[in-house]
Amino acid sequence: MISSLISHPAFPLAVGSLFIFIFKEKANLISIGSILISLFVLLFITDNIDYVYKSGLASLNYFSYSKLAYLFCLVFLIMGLIGKLFSIYRDSYKEKAMVLIYISSAIFVLFSGDFLTLYIFWEIMAIASTMVIWSSNSDKSLSAGNRYLLMHLLGGLILLLGIIGLYIDTNNLQIRLLNLDTWYNWMILVGFLLNAGAPPFSQWIPDAYPEGSYSSTVFLSAYTTKTSVFILIVTFAGSHILMLIGIYMIMYGIIYALLENDIRRILSYSIVNQVGFMIVGIGIGTELSLNGTAAHAFSHIIYKGLLLMSAGSVIYMINKYKCTDVGGLYKTMPLTAICGIIGALAISAFPLTSGFISKSMIVDASIHEGMQLVWLMLLVGSAGVFLHAGIKFPWFVFFHRDKKIITTDPPIYMKYAMIIASTICIVIGIWPQLLYSLLPYPVDFIPYTGNHVVSQLHLLFFSALAFFISLKYLERTLTLTLDIDWLYRGKIKYIKLLTKYIFSMINKTENIFSFTSLRNKFATLEDYLLRQTTISAMLILILIIFSVSLIMNIN
Amino acid sequence: MNDRNKIIYTLILLINITPYLYVFYNFKKINFNIDGIIGFYPIFGFLACISLIIIAKILAVVLKKGDTYYD
Repeated sequence: MISSLISHPAFPLAVGSLFIFIFKEKANLISIGSILISLFVLLFITDNIDYVYKSGLASLNYFSYSKLAYLFCLVFLIMGLIGKLFSIYRDSYKEKAMVLIYISSAIFVLFSGDFLTLYIFWEIMAIASTMVIWSSNSDKSLSAGNRYLLMHLLGGLILLLGIIGLYIDTNNLQIRLLNLDTWYNWMILVGFLLNAGAPPFSQWIPDAYPEGSYSSTVFLSAYTTKTSVFILIVTFAGSHILMLIGIYMIMYGIIYALLENDIRRILSYSIVNQVGFMIVGIGIGTELSLNGTAAHAFSHIIYKGLLLMSAGSVIYMINKYKCTDVGGLYKTMPLTAICGIIGALAISAFPLTSGFISKSMIVDASIHEGMQLVWLMLLVGSAGVFLHAGIKFPWFVFFHRDKKIITTDPPIYMKYAMIIASTICIVIGIWPQLLYSLLPYPVDFIPYTGNHVVSQLHLLFFSALAFFISLKYLERTLTLTLDIDWLYRGKIKYIKLLTKYIFSMINKTENIFSFTSLRNKFATLEDYLLRQTTISAMLILILIIFSVSLIMNIN
Repeated sequence: MNDRNKIIYTLILLINITPYLYVFYNFKKINFNIDGIIGFYPIFGFLACISLIIIAKILAVVLKKGDTYYD
């Protein structure tokens, strides 16, 4: 068991996180070192090997090799390394340790061979990422983390029900292609989709991620949604309903990002948008589209990390979060601006960047299948990405009205991290074969044809024109946009309103009771109920883990 | 002349180049009939963006609230 764990690429990270708790001063060294060891371990994985831990009734297949998992693991580790470089100045060993556990559990999910193992690490990932959100130590992050955890425990329980149904019916938990003809497969799909930010709960991404610290958002953006994309490729490739869900996510991301004011929230909405492209690719389900989805996930992780790093640099240097507070930063932070623009070009799939060579695969796959409507929607999406992330983000942060903010570029390691990420974006864009050779299916696709380049340039130039013509209407205001979370966030507000209304009614006759104290009691009860649900969900989780370990050790 | 106008004029200069890009476009390799029309991509991209902005603005009437709505 131990010898096979050592050759697992997630194991060094898990050990590294333990070491961070012991040697708190060496947190940076340990985290970068353990990621490098993981990369080294990954280099030696070439064969189809399966490691299974057998005990009593249950067996856990915690390492099963596939080319797709290798690709995702590689990009997870690269992003981990860049992110760790970026967060060197972040003074919180807890965050650094939790990030390592988070990455490690995400990699365990990639390599798990059965649904039980996947479920265990799925939940560890949810808890570790909540800890990463909480580590920014603000009140907002506390409540956002609570909502995030509730959402993920809900998704986890739905997934668990599906897995139990699958086991009872087929007695086979091996991860394989499922079809949507039974209720438990639907529940598994819902559990996975909830982590990808699918409707109606897409809102947890822009709700929780921007509340992390300037460095932790970089990590959060990369792992949870992309493990979900990975597992959807493996289990539900070709389910046509995913195309509808993906198109909804593309449009949702664009429209909400257009209304948003918080810098990192704009970028979080564009995560939903980009994952939407991947979900459409999974729904199409041909070899070309699955290749495209994997390639798009790879390039997305890097350029989204780059964008969030440039936003993080702005936050680190001037501690301002909103578009209305910043502007004209290209004069004082030139390198951050250049890297941010490279990331913005990559996300909008400008030719010679990584986004172009991956997204055009998904778009072409829809053409090969003759899906004209899907293709048109993807074109709308491509134009809209440039609108909300490609121009809006750099324009309102680095240009627009010069707010005369005196600052400089961030310290040296943060610069290195951004430069490395932008180099990867451009190198993959110029030599796509580097990425194509890693894809799960053989690639017979040429991104740089005249038609691809010309159509993309036409789309982008004219959506830029549309942006600047309607700039007056896109002016940022100090507002937030309501979403599905209104249902469970606005409650206390309405209880207050209701008590206020009753109070005024009673006040007309006679004020006998002290209604302020009653209102306070109401708020306390509300708070108590919320905590109860969290605790009970945690207890269920612990019970599950206990029962699993009991089953395994029964003989 | 402010920044926005400068950028719009630069863009218009760039957009003047876009028709010449059709030199590299192979009309025999079109996917559906619709993208064989000259000017399909520019017009489609422009209209898509404008309509997205209009939808966002309509939704904003209902969904936009003050910054401290949840506090």
